[in-house]
Amino acid sequence: MTPSYRMQYSKKGPARYISHLDLLRSFERAGRRAGLPLAFSQGFNPHPKISFAAPLGVGTAGEAEYADIELTADLPAGEVFRALSGVLPEGLRLLEVRSIPDQSTSLMAAVDCATYRALANLSRPFGRKELDSVISSFMARPEIWAERKLKTGGKKKQNIRPGIFTLSGKSENDIIILEAELKAGSNGNVRFEEVLEALMETVDLPLKSGFVLSRTGVFTRFGEEKKALWQDY
Amino acid sequence: MDLLEQILPLVQKPARYTGGEWNIVRKDWAKADIKVAFAFPDVYEVGMSHLGLQILYHVVNSRSDALMERVFAPWPDMEEKMREHGLPLFALESYRPVRDFDVIAFTLQYEMCYSNVLNMLDLAGIPLRSNLRGEKHPLVIAGGPCAFNPEPLADFIDLFVIGEGEEAIEDFLDSYREAKSRNLARKDFLTEAARVPGVYVPSLYRVEYRADGEISKVEPVLEGVPEVVEKRVVRDLDKVSFPTRPVVPSTQIVHDRIMIEVLRGCTRGCRFCQAGMIYRPVREKKPATVLRQAAELVRQTGYDEISLTSLSTSDYTPVRSVIAALIKEHAGRGVGVSLPSLRVDNFSMELAKEVQKVRRSSITLAPEAGTQRLRDVINKGVTEEDLMAATEVAFREGWQAVKLYFMIGLPTETNEDLDGIIRLAREVLAGGRKAGARRGRLRVTVSVSSFVPKAHTPFQWEPQLPLAVLKERQAYLAAGLRERGLVFNYHDTAVSFMEAVFARGDRRLGAVLENAFHLGCKFDGWSENFYFEKWLEAFRQAGLEPGWYAYRRYEYNSVLPWEHIGAGLSKQYLMLEHQRALAGETTDDCRTGACSGCGLCPGLEVEPDYAGGEGDAQLPDAVQ
Repeated sequence: MTPSYRMQYSKKGPARYISHLDLLRSFERAGRRAGLPLAFSQGFNPHPKISFAAPLGVGTAGEAEYADIELTADLPAGEVFRALSGVLPEGLRLLEVRSIPDQSTSLMAAVDCATYRALANLSRPFGRKELDSVISSFMARPEIWAERKLKTGGKKKQNIRPGIFTLSGKSENDIIILEAELKAGSNGNVRFEEVLEALMETVDLPLKSGFVLSRTGVFTRFGEEKKALWQDY
Repeated sequence: MDLLEQILPLVQKPARYTGGEWNIVRKDWAKADIKVAFAFPDVYEVGMSHLGLQILYHVVNSRSDALMERVFAPWPDMEEKMREHGLPLFALESYRPVRDFDVIAFTLQYEMCYSNVLNMLDLAGIPLRSNLRGEKHPLVIAGGPCAFNPEPLADFIDLFVIGEGEEAIEDFLDSYREAKSRNLARKDFLTEAARVPGVYVPSLYRVEYRADGEISKVEPVLEGVPEVVEKRVVRDLDKVSFPTRPVVPSTQIVHDRIMIEVLRGCTRGCRFCQAGMIYRPVREKKPATVLRQAAELVRQTGYDEISLTSLSTSDYTPVRSVIAALIKEHAGRGVGVSLPSLRVDNFSMELAKEVQKVRRSSITLAPEAGTQRLRDVINKGVTEEDLMAATEVAFREGWQAVKLYFMIGLPTETNEDLDGIIRLAREVLAGGRKAGARRGRLRVTVSVSSFVPKAHTPFQWEPQLPLAVLKERQAYLAAGLRERGLVFNYHDTAVSFMEAVFARGDRRLGAVLENAFHLGCKFDGWSENFYFEKWLEAFRQAGLEPGWYAYRRYEYNSVLPWEHIGAGLSKQYLMLEHQRALAGETTDDCRTGACSGCGLCPGLEVEPDYAGGEGDAQLPDAVQ
């Protein structure tokens, strides 16, 4: 086994538009610029051993994302943090790095849920009470169907209601903010865009712009409690 | 950036428009006397793959008095949103509108990007025609290989820089700053700039035509404006500025790797090749320079591949030792070396073998023509034995895909030459089978383009074959290349036809370009965006006949539209090479054989500059 590190980072500004695949390349290049001894997979087309907690949609900002990276030499986490911090493209910012033990569960498998925030400009104020009632009747629905495109080109309807854990909203003057906690990870994932789209079908908000989306956190669950992906490290 | 943020979620590949890449240079707008926008008239992934952009970006941003930002042609989906929301064309560093810059500098890499030049000006809110632009508008300049026949764009570009740009742009900026400090009017500045070596100001030349439409005379309208604008040439590649902190895109681009130019120019003398003619003489970088730049580039970019670029990298004198040194130094960290252009010979295969220890891909070779006779006509010093030997090595070494490039419609081509292409492709395929390549995997791709006569080449006088004939020849090849393991690709003949029109056209084509822009032509180099009917309509509206340009045989005494642009080659030489071509006579590479008398060295007072050292490149035998 090779020394592994868990990174917490934010992805904002221009970096929001870096796609998942390109993000892997961005970290790989940053690692090389930092002079880190990256570990590579064996085989015909070696790639660096970097894995992400959960893919983030292009355009959505990430305030506290996670990725694991493997190196071939055991370096103090602080050194990895310092080396990488100065070489990331604009908008990618390292928040914290910790060493993780070899036998830890994979990052992706640890993810259970994520929190999101959407912000948009309104052309006129929208009453808080009205917003609350729209959301509570939305959440009262037993089923909420979203249409998903399949890789095969077809489409599939999916009930996303069980994956919407919380949804709340507030509006002040010409700004509306919606927040949600949604199911995430490899055992089923609900996209915030799907939720917003379904919600917009039930209410005619005076939107002046599209929503600007952020994922504010990614978590693992212990029963009712949600925890950051640091676990015990 | 607010409006942009609203638009970005609605377009494909938004990372094309966000900037923020590693090594981006953002300078203080208020502190720069001269603000230049480098405009690449194609999409981001193509433009960012262009080394010239990185070089000029570095040169200009290294100056304390200037800044350079980048702008690319927005893909049609983005353009639509920008027009819908009234977002003008902006630069990626500051997101400022391009029209706020002092200078917009286009690079012209390919004739089929001309419609994008016009479209970008329009998106920027800048009048297309230079005579409609005033003191408040940016100066629109252009360079690159297509500037060697700048005439089709003469109505739109204020000033062209002919030849290599990294030193010329410094001279241009010096004269611009000086003019700005004197508050010189635009017109007066252009007159002064016309005296800067390599600068061509089209509005300062008058073109006269004969009754039959041919040009009778091109002359400067003012005294002191040169009759012929000679190209700029960098003398020493080791001393000239080269970027070791290039912008590293966050999204995948076409050439997503370190590019180190190891030599400039090529003296092989292929008679159809414009690059081989206009980038003379050969100048090589010293190995120590290459190795130093490579080490710095690996550190500054984080790329995993170093590409040694040039027109013909296997001709680089110390190529083998440089590759060995690069692999030794960088392979341990997963950084490979690649060669973009391989010659058809054993030596190149040996190089490819060394390189593929790190990374393996398909091999591309360019015999260009199907018979020895025609290869002699074009002076492509490659024999059938070379090709067979090279591909044999490739298959033996485990490559299973070979790509062969050919051209059809070359001067003197007959059916025999087409049969030659078919025969060669089949022989290479058979060679692959014999070498034991797996049947399912073995693939020989034959890629066929149509000959386009280009300015400043020995074939500049030659007509292009009629479109219908080219189509027939493609069909003939397609029929002959039907076999398991063979793949046949060919270029759209209509695009090649338009390319020929603009490659050898004159300034009357400005009207056609403007019409084409109004008809919605853009991204014509992308087959899905090329509408031949619109182009034909643009010609009809202008009352011009495209065939008159593409199919015309110019006479030796014709005044060519680019005759006042000097590539350093004597007309005598080009004529002689043309005659030798038609006679099937080959000409030596001046590296090893006799001086071919192209006139460049004495004319521009330069000399070839070889890196010396071990001299391990395999050079062609002198041909008598």
